[in-house]
Amino acid sequence: MTGIAAAEFARQASTEHAQTLSRPSLSYWQDARIRLQSNRRALVSLFIVISLLILTLLGPVLWSVNPAAQDLDQISVPPGRDRSALVVAEYTPWVIPAGTVAELQLADTATTQSVRLQWAGLPGAYGHRVYRNLYPVGPERAYGIPLGEFFDNSTLNFEDRLDLRPGTYYYSVVALAENGRPGTVAETLRVDVRRTTTVNEALAQGLVGSAADIALGDSLQVALHPLGTDYLGRDMLARLMEGARVSLFIGIIAPFIYVLMGVVYGAVSGFAGGKVDQVMMRFADFVVALPFLLFMILFKIAFGIGPGESGIFPMLIAMIVLLWPATARLVRGQILQIREQGYVEASKLLGAKSSYLIFRHMLPNTLGVVLVTLTFEIPRAIFTEAFLSFIGMGVAPPTPSWGSMSNEGIKTMLNTPHELIFPALLISITVLAFNLLGDGLRDALDARMRNTE
Amino acid sequence: MTGVMTSPQTIPALLEVRDLAVEFATYGGTVQAVRGVSFSVEKGKTLAIVGESGCGKSVTVQSLMGLIPMPPGRITAGSARLNGVEVLGCNVINGKDIRGSQIGMIFQDPMTSLNPTMRIGDQIAEPLQEHRGYSHKRAFSEAINLLSLSKIPEAAKRARQYPFEFSGGMLQRAMIAMAIACKPSILIADEPTTALDVTIQAQILDLLQDLQTETGMAIVLITHDLGVVARVADEVAVMYAGKIVEQGSVDDIFYRSAHPYTLGLKLAMPTNDPDKQHKLNPIDGSPPDLFAPPPGCGYCPRCPFSMKICDSRPPENFEVAVQHFSRCWLHHPQARISPAAPSIPRELYVGERA
Amino acid sequence: MLWYIGKRLIQGLITVWFIATATFFAMHNVPGDPLLNERATTPTIRANLEAKYGLDQPVTTQYFIYLKNIVRGDFGISFAQENREVNDIIREHFPVSAILGVLAVIIAAVGGILWGSLTALYRNRLPDYLIMFLVILGISVPSFVIAAISQLGIVTLNNLAGTTVLPVAGWGTIYHMLVPALVLGLSTMAYLTRLMRSSMLEIVNSDFVRTAKSKGVPPARIFARHQLRNAVLPVITVLGPSIAAITTGGFVVEIVFAIPGLGRFFVEAVQQLDYTVIMGTTVFYGTFLVFMVILVDVIYGFIDPRVRMS
Repeated sequence: MTGIAAAEFARQASTEHAQTLSRPSLSYWQDARIRLQSNRRALVSLFIVISLLILTLLGPVLWSVNPAAQDLDQISVPPGRDRSALVVAEYTPWVIPAGTVAELQLADTATTQSVRLQWAGLPGAYGHRVYRNLYPVGPERAYGIPLGEFFDNSTLNFEDRLDLRPGTYYYSVVALAENGRPGTVAETLRVDVRRTTTVNEALAQGLVGSAADIALGDSLQVALHPLGTDYLGRDMLARLMEGARVSLFIGIIAPFIYVLMGVVYGAVSGFAGGKVDQVMMRFADFVVALPFLLFMILFKIAFGIGPGESGIFPMLIAMIVLLWPATARLVRGQILQIREQGYVEASKLLGAKSSYLIFRHMLPNTLGVVLVTLTFEIPRAIFTEAFLSFIGMGVAPPTPSWGSMSNEGIKTMLNTPHELIFPALLISITVLAFNLLGDGLRDALDARMRNTE
Repeated sequence: MTGVMTSPQTIPALLEVRDLAVEFATYGGTVQAVRGVSFSVEKGKTLAIVGESGCGKSVTVQSLMGLIPMPPGRITAGSARLNGVEVLGCNVINGKDIRGSQIGMIFQDPMTSLNPTMRIGDQIAEPLQEHRGYSHKRAFSEAINLLSLSKIPEAAKRARQYPFEFSGGMLQRAMIAMAIACKPSILIADEPTTALDVTIQAQILDLLQDLQTETGMAIVLITHDLGVVARVADEVAVMYAGKIVEQGSVDDIFYRSAHPYTLGLKLAMPTNDPDKQHKLNPIDGSPPDLFAPPPGCGYCPRCPFSMKICDSRPPENFEVAVQHFSRCWLHHPQARISPAAPSIPRELYVGERA
Repeated sequence: MLWYIGKRLIQGLITVWFIATATFFAMHNVPGDPLLNERATTPTIRANLEAKYGLDQPVTTQYFIYLKNIVRGDFGISFAQENREVNDIIREHFPVSAILGVLAVIIAAVGGILWGSLTALYRNRLPDYLIMFLVILGISVPSFVIAAISQLGIVTLNNLAGTTVLPVAGWGTIYHMLVPALVLGLSTMAYLTRLMRSSMLEIVNSDFVRTAKSKGVPPARIFARHQLRNAVLPVITVLGPSIAAITTGGFVVEIVFAIPGLGRFFVEAVQQLDYTVIMGTTVFYGTFLVFMVILVDVIYGFIDPRVRMS
């Protein structure tokens, strides 16, 4: 205790009476921006949203395939399939060769034009039935679809031209019993079918410049579909981008309009107060009570879809008519709250006019909440569009939307899942991005909700 | 810790807290909320812990009750002994639960401190069922007795009501009834009157004192209101930036204040004495950032009497009079003799009782 | 409380009137003569309908005839199916939808409360992250995709097992209901989980839970007595709208799983422009939902004393 120098006890001028604040003061929006920037999930979401908008606006310029054009050579083709095609002559009828063969075999090269089979008569057969399957024939004798039946023992050949695709098929010939029932004796052949095209077809598709560029027996690449084609042979990527326009148009424009309506309605109601407020809110209550999706459907029917209309407009109107009250209630509540605040009272005492109060104090202070609502309404609108299109009440074909594409894709889900997966994935990613962005915005803007999640 | 130790003990006090340190891990870093706090409470006495918001007074008592959420909270050092038995980190000592049974606690905001969906009587009955093993029926009728003991009229009817049907003052009485249900030896009151208006404040303080006389329990009162301290306290501990800076009897603190911070607090109190009209004297500046506590005295940047040493070395705890401690370098013998050292004007610290 | 219920019921009736009126005028706005739909009507039906609805009379008269019929609980005769009353259709198909919906609501509510509590208790630890990831998926993936994927799942399961473990589609036994009800309740469950989590987190840090701790109540009992009941309140308030969401979500599930419910029937009626069925079903669903919301509010009143007393 004695080891302390006396000088240590010298009086010191009181250096800082008012401490400097280490943090610069930030405005509400600056603070919100910093919070949003530090939220990685929200930033990634924002990036996704912007990419989607670019996809919608710039995509069709870069990938200028007509979304309505059908590529009949490539129907329901998944992405990444081999695109090489053999150039062959136009189809000519099969001249059945004389003579017999020992077993089930190909009489000619198997192509998408035709598969020609020949076989020897099966022992004890009164006739034959020809089957085709996409999978090997197992012990349970699943031969696939029957293609033809010959109840005599002289026809020992068959030509298959039914909807052939490049790939592997399993053909079976089954012996028929005397009563016409298929017996147990059968023969199966694995056939690899090659894609073909003709000179004329290649010219029509624009795959080559002139007929002189190719010769029979050449191999060429058929049109590229990066994400495959749908059940009508339409390019998935082009359709997805076209669909994005529809889905995002409804998903963004509709919420913008009805949120704006809600803001105006709620602000008027909240500012007017008293009887007017009560009547306006009662009306809003009634609109809220309407079962939303049922009335969406009802309105869609009521507004009708004329010939050549895509059905986007009735859907937009229905959403706007039905969905404004939620925002109106919210904004009214905010306005009522702000009206009671000291700074509004002070402003009023200083002689501020109503319009000044509304535009200077009330609306800016509700802007954050409105922005958050808007971000959460967008995924809801996208879902609504998808739902309606899925049950066939949305946009009318041939206009694609992600919802209607999912609806079409679900029918062929088992064989060509890509037709469902791509639009469904886009809906999910978009909804996810807007939801996360909304979470981020809410955390950044709304102090009361901070730190609860 | 060097220097003079706190009060030399002959018999163990009812509650003895030594060198308690609590910190919180946050995203911004570690907050050292309590940095070595020692005090003791005697049976039947009231200790008031005074200090401004964020000085660590609530954290101190909540850590005794195990109410600090861990993580992020952490008790890094110290001990707290109830009748000589360690309570930190324990739920049960001597076969009895600590919380609710041996120590009761009431809180600042009675409006939010009671479960809104549970009847008042059921909430008061809860500790009795929990610690005494009473049946619900017996506990409920005991709850009614406790309510009338807390001077709530029509207790039987009130016990069947819900918190939203009570006023703030009534709720605090119910809270008190709940805290004393199991006859604890210590009642911790964390700013019990802050949320109430002045007349109700007085009633609640009277009630606490009456109950103390009847049951002989000790009270640890957390407050920032020197008026409340003057009214009920026997002993006072003044906290600043996670440390107790001055400790002594209520008269020591008010009539013979030794620490510049206590002086500052006293000067900052409004007075209604017409002869002594003066402006309010707030203490300028703000408390230090407890993310990085200063090496020296925490009060140094705001202190009008600061010395060179205050910046660099934490002050020792000096016993300025019998059982009156102050953590300030001004009491160092060399500061008293050094001609360059400041001294506190006599008229400041021998003020009258506020 | 009785007064409160009475007031709500009267409000509900006015709302039903509003729904009926909106339905009438929306449908009346449909361009063209609803009876001109030649594939839908035979001369007999046409004559019956014209007489019954006063289609040759002014709109106001038609409107009052319509209201009178609704008050009598008569939704009319189907345009598309000869001699079939809308009431019969509802009576036949609604129970199926109702069973599916009730199961889905139970799954959603119980699941939401359970998962939400779990995430709050394990905040920022693995179970929390895992459940919240699934919740985000549940909120972001459209219900028809979930329905399709789960149907695919059943097919795969049956193929793997070699027998029919679960029926892929159709209706009849509890096994038919299991997966559709789960799919139907899933997105609502995700939403409720989120809500329950944030409500629970708020409660965990609330003053009265701290009080309960200071009383020495053990954690399990604090959870059961103090946290759960208060945290469930906001979940109950959104249960009304959730029932509406599940009801309309049923359309998709009924279509995908080929369940003969009212929802699928409604969608079919819409596609066939069967006006009486559309109007009848809309008013019926609307009424049902309005009273479900009232029921939920009344239940809320019994749980929250603050509402019950006022």
